[in-house]
Amino acid sequence: MKRIIQIALVLLLVGSAALAVDYYPKYKGKPTTITMWAWTSNENYSIEEFQKLYPNIKVVWEDFGVHYEKVQTALSAGSGLPDVLMVEYSYGPQFMDLGAFQPINRWLSEKNFKKLYGEAAMGWCAMDGKIYGTPQDSGAMAMFYRKDLFDQYGLTVPKTRKEFIEQARKFKKAAPHLKFFAAPIGNAMWWIGQIWEAGGKVCDYSDGNWYINFTNPVAVEVFETWGKWFDEGVLDLEMWWNADWYNSLNEGTTAVVEIGCWFAEWLRYNAPDAKGKWRVAIPPQWNPAKPHNGMIGGSGFYVTSHSKNPEAAAIFVNWLNSHPASLKCLHNYSNLPIMVSTRYEEVIEEVAGPDAYFGDQNISETLWEAHQLVNTTFVALPIMSNVDESLSLLIQDYVDGKIKRFADILPRWEREVIKTMKEFGYSNVITGKLP
Amino acid sequence: MMDEMMMDKMMTKRRMSKKTLASIKAYLFLAPFLLLFITMVVYPIALGAKLSLYGQRGARMWYIGLQNFATIFQDPKFWESFRIPFFLLTVQVPLMLFSAMIIAFLYEKMEKHGGGLYRFIYYLPHTIPGIVTGIVWSYIFSDSMSPFRPVLDLLGFSGTKILTRPNLQFILLLITLWAFTGYTAFVIYSSLIAIPKAFSEQAQLDGATFWQIAFKIKMPFLRDVCITLFIFNAIGAIQVFNEPWMLGKLVVLPSNYTPAMYIYNSAFAQGRFTYAAAMGLILALLTFIFSLYILRNATKQMLTGESQLLP
Repeated sequence: MKRIIQIALVLLLVGSAALAVDYYPKYKGKPTTITMWAWTSNENYSIEEFQKLYPNIKVVWEDFGVHYEKVQTALSAGSGLPDVLMVEYSYGPQFMDLGAFQPINRWLSEKNFKKLYGEAAMGWCAMDGKIYGTPQDSGAMAMFYRKDLFDQYGLTVPKTRKEFIEQARKFKKAAPHLKFFAAPIGNAMWWIGQIWEAGGKVCDYSDGNWYINFTNPVAVEVFETWGKWFDEGVLDLEMWWNADWYNSLNEGTTAVVEIGCWFAEWLRYNAPDAKGKWRVAIPPQWNPAKPHNGMIGGSGFYVTSHSKNPEAAAIFVNWLNSHPASLKCLHNYSNLPIMVSTRYEEVIEEVAGPDAYFGDQNISETLWEAHQLVNTTFVALPIMSNVDESLSLLIQDYVDGKIKRFADILPRWEREVIKTMKEFGYSNVITGKLP
Repeated sequence: MMDEMMMDKMMTKRRMSKKTLASIKAYLFLAPFLLLFITMVVYPIALGAKLSLYGQRGARMWYIGLQNFATIFQDPKFWESFRIPFFLLTVQVPLMLFSAMIIAFLYEKMEKHGGGLYRFIYYLPHTIPGIVTGIVWSYIFSDSMSPFRPVLDLLGFSGTKILTRPNLQFILLLITLWAFTGYTAFVIYSSLIAIPKAFSEQAQLDGATFWQIAFKIKMPFLRDVCITLFIFNAIGAIQVFNEPWMLGKLVVLPSNYTPAMYIYNSAFAQGRFTYAAAMGLILALLTFIFSLYILRNATKQMLTGESQLLP
């Protein structure tokens, strides 16, 4: 018996070693140096681990404040992009479409990609079967809430949208000078994430065509519901990512923020005064019978078309975002709570634990659960900055009273987006339906 | 007679050779400037002109002739973006020149009573880069942290936002006035002290007051510098970027809030470099035509004005 177990163990070890080799091919080229532009903090720990295993590939990491501006410039100039480029999932399709990346299927097969990152990630890192990169962190939506305010006003953590608005009403009644939650003016991916969470989408890509349908029943329902809540006066709308917003998170004048799970890192560094007061929960569900989640943000690492050594770059991006040694570094040093890779499961037990900033809550566990609920993909349009801008202007018009019904934003937004697609020369646009 | 003519001819000849020598010397001295001017201004403009003739998708570019320009003339977003420059040009620039002139007169009046200190203080805002002041102003006008907030709350405006889209142009007006009035006053002051004292002394003897001398005697002498300043500020107004860019984090602004913002966003946010290059050229051309027009008309006016002034 003992022998059988031993043999089985040896076989298992050999098997997993063979599997690992399969995932991470040997580098056969000459010693080389590849460059990478990325804004995550402390990527160097993963790079050091990588260079131990691949001594012939040296990785030089650079971080610029004006990331996308530099990317656009280098792309138009025809040279100057690094070998590896970090891009948000929502901007991936745009750069794939513009020819900024090159396929890496030779070093990372579709089968292995799906095994390592799941089926959904194909929507963020591949197009027409060509894989251009690998996904790093998850942008799964999570509900961050102030436990001190919830306790003070006797609120319970909402599990459904119905409970969510009930708690908002209760809170607003007791503390009219505070905000329960302020949804963003703009941030297209947040609103698309809401629709995604409810099980819908507004656009897609399939077989060489872009599909646009912002006025489908799920999208309309989501916008009508939020509109009702805004009109009722229990929820607010405000611009995010500016001094006022930061201040409200630090001072505790807002009870809830629904946002991607990477926000845990952001809070820790930008709202230090609120230490111990925030907690994390799965976002309230639209349909509790069919729990589901969407994403906002999260980024992938892509191999650019300017790379002279795509082999080294491909090996690196795959190792960086799926190897347990790297995932551990990304969690511990870069403070990314959840990685997309399925192999994160192998390290989550080890890295997760009580977090002092979140009052010793094991947030990785909760966020991992939130991430598991994202089991569908979403493909962004190749004009996301315009999609974003037109939504900001329309929501501002609603705030200023120029648009009476919040759901009326959807058809106008759709019109603007279709117009811009045409203006930017896309003739392969199908409107009014999704594939 | 003959001798004199010969002498004259020889003189001109020598003068000619002296002239060429002088111009060679002049170009030698100008060389550092010319080098920078050609590499940093002429070359980029030429490159921009070339780019503007191409269509672009990512790294792919193809020749399309003047099609970008045809598109711009039909692009309402480009022409709407001139609303803010027009407002600054018609309101801010005249207002600033007038107040700067008053301040310059006061500088002169206070010459012996710490005028230098005031000149220093008023000049200070100009030394801070626009992008830095933009950040500070965005705090000053923010909803929750504005120093005006307690005052507004006391007056019963606790719910009102300070920084809204309609308010923004007035806030821009305030910021530009704050940043450039002191500097402008300083420039005006320097030409004010160049005016011969004899004029004002004479008027003083005749019983004119300080302000009478200022407006009736000295102001006509300032026309020249004011025209130059007007053109400089007009160019600044047409190209305004930093302040609305920074304040755009606090209030939703369209990407075409000003022409410079539209050009920047088209190139760097949307990756349409060739279209942006074409818009940049049109903006430069419009600025040039406008400056030339002002300069021409103003010089004409000035010449006739001066002939009336001098006895």
